[in-house]
Amino acid sequence: MRRRTEIERLYDEHAPSLFAFLLNFTRDENDTRDLLQEIFIKIARGPDLLRNVREERAFLIRLAHNAAVDLIRRRNTRDRTKENFVAERVSVFASTSDPDEELFRKELSVALGDLPEEQRSVVHLKLWEGLTFDEIAGALEISPNTAASRYRYGLDKLRERLRPLYKEITNVE
Amino acid sequence: MNEDNDQFEKQLKRQSLQQIPSAWREEILSAASQAQPVRRSVSDHAFLSVLNQRLSSLLWPHPVAWGGLAVVWIFIFCLNFSSRDQAPVLADKASPASPEVVAELHQQQRLYVELMDLKDSGDADRQKVFVPRPRSERVETLTA
Repeated sequence: MRRRTEIERLYDEHAPSLFAFLLNFTRDENDTRDLLQEIFIKIARGPDLLRNVREERAFLIRLAHNAAVDLIRRRNTRDRTKENFVAERVSVFASTSDPDEELFRKELSVALGDLPEEQRSVVHLKLWEGLTFDEIAGALEISPNTAASRYRYGLDKLRERLRPLYKEITNVE
Repeated sequence: MNEDNDQFEKQLKRQSLQQIPSAWREEILSAASQAQPVRRSVSDHAFLSVLNQRLSSLLWPHPVAWGGLAVVWIFIFCLNFSSRDQAPVLADKASPASPEVVAELHQQQRLYVELMDLKDSGDADRQKVFVPRPRSERVETLTA
């Protein structure tokens, strides 16, 4: 049996997380694939990039974040209307057979898309990557306090937006 | 209120994210491997491991026979090298150069010396060109 190469190991361990993070950021599958490919090409060209890295995931998220920010800048100058169009089209969540959950996921995806990018990144990394504020701060090159406040603002906006639907699902008064 | 917030966070965390399309793996990894710089040591290592594998599969059925054959070949090589070592001894034993050959060599040497003298005198006739030199060197020339 053929041994797994280093780049294959990195892909298998980190690509699913990077995919979700980038999809939440770009809201476009093609852009997400391009960015993911760009990241892995960068690693393949410079295998020493990861030599002294303690937290591979945090390092790769930083690469992904920087690449996504560059893409958004390019996209903004290219086509300002595209982002809003794709935000409605692409969902970052998997489909489910439960109609209430499906509706909640759809609304959550749209609400996330409406958050500013910096809040969206922090909310994503905190909720779905389970990173601490220190780890998020390291990955996004911001202070832990900034990460915490962005998370709080982002979560407040999501709660406000999804409150009726959330109450309906959970029957919380 | 805090409990409500925690519940809301938990509800968000429960939402499973979209999975990466499986077809992307091959596509992205192939693009990455094409961009990878060629590492000679790695390819050499791969070549050696393949060679080792091939040899192992070839020699495995009769290792004793192959081992015996290897010993025969080593013996042949040793014999060949030991006979080759005698060649310089034979050369040492060769007769010294004859007086005619020595005389001819001396003649050629004299001719060469004469030619060199002619070349030097031709150079001396040429007009000397002034080449500025450091002051310290000029003093050395005067004192010499």
